[in-house]
Amino acid sequence: MFFKRLTLPLIIVFAIGMAGFVQYYVPHPWSDAFQEEMTTWFRVIGGFALFLGAYSLLHMHVTRIRRAAPGWGYSVFVFIGAAAMIAVGLYNDGKGPLGPDQQKDWFDWGYRWVFVPCQATIFSILAFFIASAAFRTFRARNAAAVMLLVAAIIVMFGRVPINEGVSGWLFGQDHRQVFSGAATVVNEYPNMAAKRAIILGVSLGAIAQSLRILFGIERSYLGGGD
Amino acid sequence: MSDAPAKSRNLKSSIEMGVVALLVVVFMVVSLFAQFIVQDAGRHFHFTWGADPRKSIGIIIAAGLTLVMYSFLYRDNAFFKVAENLYVGVALGYTMIMACWRQALRPDVYETLFYAPTAAAFWNAALHRAMPILLGILLITRLSRKYGWLSRYSYAIMVGWGAGVTIPLTVNSFLFQQLYASVAPFQDAVAPHAAMTAFSGAWFMNIGLPVLGAVVVMVGTVAVLFYFFFSIEHKGAGGAVSWLGILFLMVAFGASFGYTVMGRISLLIGRINFLLNDWLRIST
Amino acid sequence: MSESSAASRGMTIARWVIYALVALTVVLPYFVVFPTLKYKVSPESAKLFDKVNSLKPGAHVMIAFDYDPASSAELDPMGRAILLHCFKKGLIPVVMTHWSSGLDNDRKILAETAARAQEDMKRQEPFVSGRDYVFLGFRPGYSNLVLNMGENLKGSFDKDFYGQPTAAMSALQGVSQLKDLDLVIDLAAGASVEVWIAFGSDRFHFPLGVGSVAVQAPNIYPYLQSGQVCGLLGGLRGAADYEQLVDANGAAMRSMWSQSLAHVLIIGLILFANARMLLARYRRTGKATG
Repeated sequence: MFFKRLTLPLIIVFAIGMAGFVQYYVPHPWSDAFQEEMTTWFRVIGGFALFLGAYSLLHMHVTRIRRAAPGWGYSVFVFIGAAAMIAVGLYNDGKGPLGPDQQKDWFDWGYRWVFVPCQATIFSILAFFIASAAFRTFRARNAAAVMLLVAAIIVMFGRVPINEGVSGWLFGQDHRQVFSGAATVVNEYPNMAAKRAIILGVSLGAIAQSLRILFGIERSYLGGGD
Repeated sequence: MSDAPAKSRNLKSSIEMGVVALLVVVFMVVSLFAQFIVQDAGRHFHFTWGADPRKSIGIIIAAGLTLVMYSFLYRDNAFFKVAENLYVGVALGYTMIMACWRQALRPDVYETLFYAPTAAAFWNAALHRAMPILLGILLITRLSRKYGWLSRYSYAIMVGWGAGVTIPLTVNSFLFQQLYASVAPFQDAVAPHAAMTAFSGAWFMNIGLPVLGAVVVMVGTVAVLFYFFFSIEHKGAGGAVSWLGILFLMVAFGASFGYTVMGRISLLIGRINFLLNDWLRIST
Repeated sequence: MSESSAASRGMTIARWVIYALVALTVVLPYFVVFPTLKYKVSPESAKLFDKVNSLKPGAHVMIAFDYDPASSAELDPMGRAILLHCFKKGLIPVVMTHWSSGLDNDRKILAETAARAQEDMKRQEPFVSGRDYVFLGFRPGYSNLVLNMGENLKGSFDKDFYGQPTAAMSALQGVSQLKDLDLVIDLAAGASVEVWIAFGSDRFHFPLGVGSVAVQAPNIYPYLQSGQVCGLLGGLRGAADYEQLVDANGAAMRSMWSQSLAHVLIIGLILFANARMLLARYRRTGKATG
């Protein structure tokens, strides 16, 4: 049982991983065909994975309702929203789940007038919070904070068109790009240097993590138990 | 004495309920006027369902949900939680139907197998799809306590492949190409202008500035990497390099903050656009 | 009233004033007529425009709408402007997404822009899906989907979003793999740019342009300098740049006053808070030494 539950999956990880690694360096039609076959598999498995993810979330809310957990009443709305969308999606304006997809049905309506405004608004609320946070916490207390603050102000001002009018007014119409130029310099030199270092660091981390997976050191993806 | 705070809370709650009721009435009236009341040539108002009443009702609901979401700015409240959970549900339903069924399982599994145009196409599909379908089904066993371990085979293949292909692609795209890009500007700047008179205006523009920029980038990259990776005590020369790395990082975080402000404001503009243009029909 | 509650009340009032000011600066340009903003297009935006502009009619431009409605305000205008440019130049846009929750939004943008291009060009015939443009839709897989498309694009999407088979689609003639595309533009709200670079353009060798949400934009500069990305539209300003270049007068250009005023407000708030802090520090030091 231990072999079937742990050893064999780890052998598969190593074998498939090495095959994926090696095929990159083999410029042969068989290698390409292998890559196409494998990635087709993952496209198909992806459909099942999406189902698993969506079902798990729904199941969590159904359990909350069943157990009458604190705030369970709100989970009813998750269930209502999901049930309504699944129902109108399957109904497909009378064509059914196998028929051609209808583009102006209640499914599209639910998407346009419930999903879109809610999602877009949730993220736009952050505009108020970021303004408030900037006012309350952004202080030039030391050299590092001064650098942060100056760079933020240069980019904030240099990336909106009003800066050119102000620049022209301050330095003359021949020098309208002083602030936008400064923002470009900040982005293309110090910002890029630090971001490149982050890319290099993250990449080394990703490679180390991949090696840990291939050699069976990292196993959390297998879930709990033996 | 102890009743005083309770009374104050009750009063506050009553006032809030009254304000909410008033806001709902105002919202309904404004929506009605914006979407369904038109003014004729004789300056008389009259009701009309318009060309697309379903859309108009949708706009009103969307505007209502938008304003309910913004009520979070006052404080977390029941209306916000209802809207938030409804959104999660609708998103879930949409994903189930659109992503999971219409754009994945139906074309890649159902139609490929059951709508195969010829017998040969069916056997070809069966050959290439049998394994991923089996792995997909095994993936779903994760929902079962008894058979959950079977899903490990699907995860093993997916994660193993991911780890295997990630290594060479990351090495190429994010290590080699990024490292090369750090030194390439020196060659690019100097090689074509090698014959140029040193310290002339043209030399400064074509060689001096690009090389200076490349030096800044290289110094910054090395300093930040030093700060990240070297766990020795940061003092002396090492401390100076590390401190320089922090300064570069701070400039980068500042740039990110500036851009983040830009992004958040843009999202707010998007919603204001919707409220003013689509809901209230105040065209700009 | 205790000192701490008074302080928190003061903070709450300040918070409300800030919220109101942010809302006001964004709304003001809708009611007050401001002079037209004149500005030069950012060099990174111009690079992407030049790349699209250099393509010959009939060239295939894949546009990956890798975002959902949360980022619509920033990326929809980019998508519309790039599509408009493609239609007007006779290029064939091939649209797909890795983000299924944006699908119907993408479909709407494509249909509306095709109609707008027809109107702008005073064209008798409408732009037709499958002949003048392609909407492939979504397939799961993410990085694996990119690898899969790199080997066999029509295998990844054997049918388009509308259920039409792609094998014999006239708009996809001559395209069987990603490398057959003349340009790919990723409109990205997340980390899809890195996926397109490592699993796509560097692996299969095709030019890649990026339109990114502002939050991600500063992270793209290393790829722009290395040549792994041929142009960058950063945030709503990037979208406004592209709209200006294609003469679209779209939502992004119209929003630039709101954007500008809100930025000036936030800079003002930061400077005010810092000036107040420095003044308080100066007074404290003055008292201590005096």
